[in-house]
Amino acid sequence: MTGAAACLAGFDGMSVVIHGSSGCYYYPTTLLHAPLHGTFILENEVIFGSEDRLREVISGLINTGNRIAVITTCVPAILGEDIQSMLAEHDVLLVDSPGFSGDVETGYHKALSLLAPQTDAGVDGVNIDGVCLLDPFCRGNVQEIRRLLGMASIPVATVFCRDALQKTCAAATCTIGTNSDFSSSIGEYLGGTLGFATLRATFEKLGTAFEGSEIDPVLKELSKQEEETVRICDKFLRRFDPPSAVIFAGASYAEFAAQVLEHYLDADIRFIGLRNADRPSRYPSKQVTGLKEAKMVIETNNPDLVLGSSFERSVSGSRAFYGITPPLRGVVRLAPVPLAGINGTLFFMEGVLNTCMDNSRLHT
Amino acid sequence: MNLRPSPTHTSRSGGCTLTGALSITTQVRDTASIIHGPKGCAHHNFSLFHATLLENEQTDLPDLVTSALSESDIIFGGEDALAGSIRTVCGRDVLAVFVLSTCIVATIGDDVEAVCDRHWPVPVIPVPTAGFLGGTFQDGVNNALIALADCTEPCSPGLCVNIIGEKNLEYEVEENYAEVVRLLTMLGLPVGIRFVHHLSLNDIPALGTAQLNILRDPSLVPVGDHLRQRFGTPYIPSFPTGFSDTLAFIGSVAMACSVDAERALGIEQAFQAEILADFADIGDSHGVFYGPDLDPENSKAAREAADALHIRVSGDGDAHLLPVHPVVGTSGVRRMLHRWRRAIHA
Repeated sequence: MTGAAACLAGFDGMSVVIHGSSGCYYYPTTLLHAPLHGTFILENEVIFGSEDRLREVISGLINTGNRIAVITTCVPAILGEDIQSMLAEHDVLLVDSPGFSGDVETGYHKALSLLAPQTDAGVDGVNIDGVCLLDPFCRGNVQEIRRLLGMASIPVATVFCRDALQKTCAAATCTIGTNSDFSSSIGEYLGGTLGFATLRATFEKLGTAFEGSEIDPVLKELSKQEEETVRICDKFLRRFDPPSAVIFAGASYAEFAAQVLEHYLDADIRFIGLRNADRPSRYPSKQVTGLKEAKMVIETNNPDLVLGSSFERSVSGSRAFYGITPPLRGVVRLAPVPLAGINGTLFFMEGVLNTCMDNSRLHT
Repeated sequence: MNLRPSPTHTSRSGGCTLTGALSITTQVRDTASIIHGPKGCAHHNFSLFHATLLENEQTDLPDLVTSALSESDIIFGGEDALAGSIRTVCGRDVLAVFVLSTCIVATIGDDVEAVCDRHWPVPVIPVPTAGFLGGTFQDGVNNALIALADCTEPCSPGLCVNIIGEKNLEYEVEENYAEVVRLLTMLGLPVGIRFVHHLSLNDIPALGTAQLNILRDPSLVPVGDHLRQRFGTPYIPSFPTGFSDTLAFIGSVAMACSVDAERALGIEQAFQAEILADFADIGDSHGVFYGPDLDPENSKAAREAADALHIRVSGDGDAHLLPVHPVVGTSGVRRMLHRWRRAIHA
């Protein structure tokens, strides 16, 4: 349910209704920081049917001009009501995505597939995908990739999923990604933007695909910043040992973090605890979703550095920690920080190096 | 006959019993809480408690486990999944296990109590919840407090005063507690247990030893009544919410505990006068109250402070927006006045 809401609430022109109790509504509302609507059903509606309540809420939204999406929570999903028929006179997108049916990615992809985005060969530019409101880096990623595409004189077509709703009907025919855990499968995929090497390859492809583009400024900045990263990491290695790391994240961010740490810091990647389903990796990895298990992984592998969410931070003891996975509680975040693009790798390395150095000083 | 009574007069935003009950059970150390439902319900609550605990400098995370019901459990029944979770948790170093059910479990009709009643190596305590089908967030809080109170036996009362039903998800929970402790200390009354805030299961037998219980707010009156019935302990229905209410609170507590209030009242009146003098610079201004918790009690406390400072409260003209939040005691009003000063000088 929360994954579906994270997808749909990212579109301007969409009113998202959580069909369920107030408790179910509060969770995505507090997590996504996006306006959502709720039916706030009561026991009465579970016994006698929720049609009247659903109609009441929908009727309050039909004059907004927005398209309406209804996402079912656990109890309405098993009541057996024909919600589609109930709302037949309205153009309502019904997403049957109760909590017990899967994880965040499942809900996100289901909602996006029901939106049925279309490509249009007449639309200039490139789509950006992998943007999910649950991702603490999504705002920063969009801003950074827009900046780089602007430098290369390549127009941005549709951002999945943080854009005007009508732009899903006419997306460009090629797409670049920010976080492949939330890929859109829309248009030809030209590559990702996590890490300097991937970014370079993707922009080279963009340069070929877009005749009028000027990718040289991007490649020049990329080389300059990579050189600076190498210099700073080299300086770190003159004084400190490479970190040994355990990473807890979705597959996309975890793989990025592991590769960057290994490449620039010669880090020892001891384990990747995947938030989502197992995916092949050259690093030791498996799905870890419980805190006890995460704690055991940390204790068994005994790393210097832990990357993950504030859940993992709470069981990391005195180890260096850097947050790349939601939730990131207990810290104030105002600025849109990226993980994708040139600045994404810079922010990441800066954070990791600072936490490693701070931690090292604490223990000497 | 109309079989569909209108829910018009029922609040739709009462929240979930599960979250309310968990806000209590997760504060009992050395225990685990099992959420019998889909894993999303556990993630939702764990994330919320995690954030709240971090804000209140509690770094140890609650032991929260989910039976992680899947679609097939929903179809064929989830009792086996619950039994499996209880078995796993009992293998840990815990003194007791709380079992809380979700709305989907109530809908499919799992017999949670029967599973809890089986023979387990540690007490397995079912807390009446059932998600939104069991009532509101506050019902969950009350049910959990009553279930915990029923785990302990009546005993002889002592001199202490217990604090009942603190809002553990409240941002200012520690400051509000400290304010009540300050007032009780002025009366020479020792504070007993915080039922339930960061408490060990072994501390709960002290519940019956208080000469007086102080409830966090009047929504806990069913809990206060239950404790009075079970232990014979009288109660004060709420923390104080403003200047005059704080003075009345001192008087009520002193009367209930048969101690002299005169000295404490004198100190508190002088403290309130000092605060009003400190904020004289925002006197004679013009403002309008705003905030998400403008209930009658909060509004009354704000109005009283405004009147004392000769602040004209009305929405006309160039009124400053004066933020109102739930305040406790005299110190709570002082914090609110700092926010008013910021708003007026902005």
